[in-house]
Amino acid sequence: MAVLGNKKSKVSDEIPSSSMADIAFLLLIFFLVTTTFPKDKGLSLVLPEESEQIEVSQKNILHIIVNPDGRVVVRYGDSPQEQTVPADNLRSIWRQGVSENPNLIASVKTHPDASYRFMIDVLDALKAAGSNRISLGLLEG
Amino acid sequence: MGLKSGGLERKSKAATEIPSSSMADIAFLLLIFFMVSTVFQSDKNRQIEWANAEATEKMDEKQKDILNVWVESNGAVYINDLERTMDEVSDVVYPVFVGNPSLKISIRSDRNVAYNYIDQLQKELVSAGALKVVFATELEKSMTRQRR
Repeated sequence: MAVLGNKKSKVSDEIPSSSMADIAFLLLIFFLVTTTFPKDKGLSLVLPEESEQIEVSQKNILHIIVNPDGRVVVRYGDSPQEQTVPADNLRSIWRQGVSENPNLIASVKTHPDASYRFMIDVLDALKAAGSNRISLGLLEG
Repeated sequence: MGLKSGGLERKSKAATEIPSSSMADIAFLLLIFFMVSTVFQSDKNRQIEWANAEATEKMDEKQKDILNVWVESNGAVYINDLERTMDEVSDVVYPVFVGNPSLKISIRSDRNVAYNYIDQLQKELVSAGALKVVFATELEKSMTRQRR
């Protein structure tokens, strides 16, 4: 009968396993929902159409020349004055230029032997400054 | 006991319900089977060094609207794991573009490739009509740029 110190507990000593499947599903759905696949990323640009030839007045062009050694030369439309700048400075140059002339177009001409990354540095600076009117080309002559 | 009602009305002792305790196991088994047997269609990653850009933005286009064009450091062009010459690019891209006019070309080029190749590639893409391009880059923090 009721002997002291010999109380048998009626609480089950096993971990309830009936809800294990629910827990597993919950975890599964949680990770399914929170997983994101790495997205493509980069600098997007729309190229001009093949037949599209627009005459642009020289004063609306900001010439940017990328040399094989990575030097970036900037020249405003019709002015003969050239200046060599670091690619980072293009941001402020573009912002300043566009505030003076909202129709400004950046014409990036890259030397055929110049590394791709130098052109990307320039494009990056222009995109970071919010520019959308960019023309890419090859430096001739 | 058994003789009651002449023994004709035998009660079956087999359960009439389908056992449902193993249903979760079956579901998991199927799930794992399909997870393992699914292959995502993607092309092989080429050995290229990415260009870095601070203004790198994520593309919202669906995967099927993106065509990857890889350019290795020696100027070799790969589309869908096949090496192409520069002249073939427009012939390869054109049918894809016609089948999907919202196609966007992801130019995945090595950072040290001569710009000449990229310019030729752009001309090929323009002649194929695919005008939306993205120059694939890695996001660069402004801190690392200053150290460089």
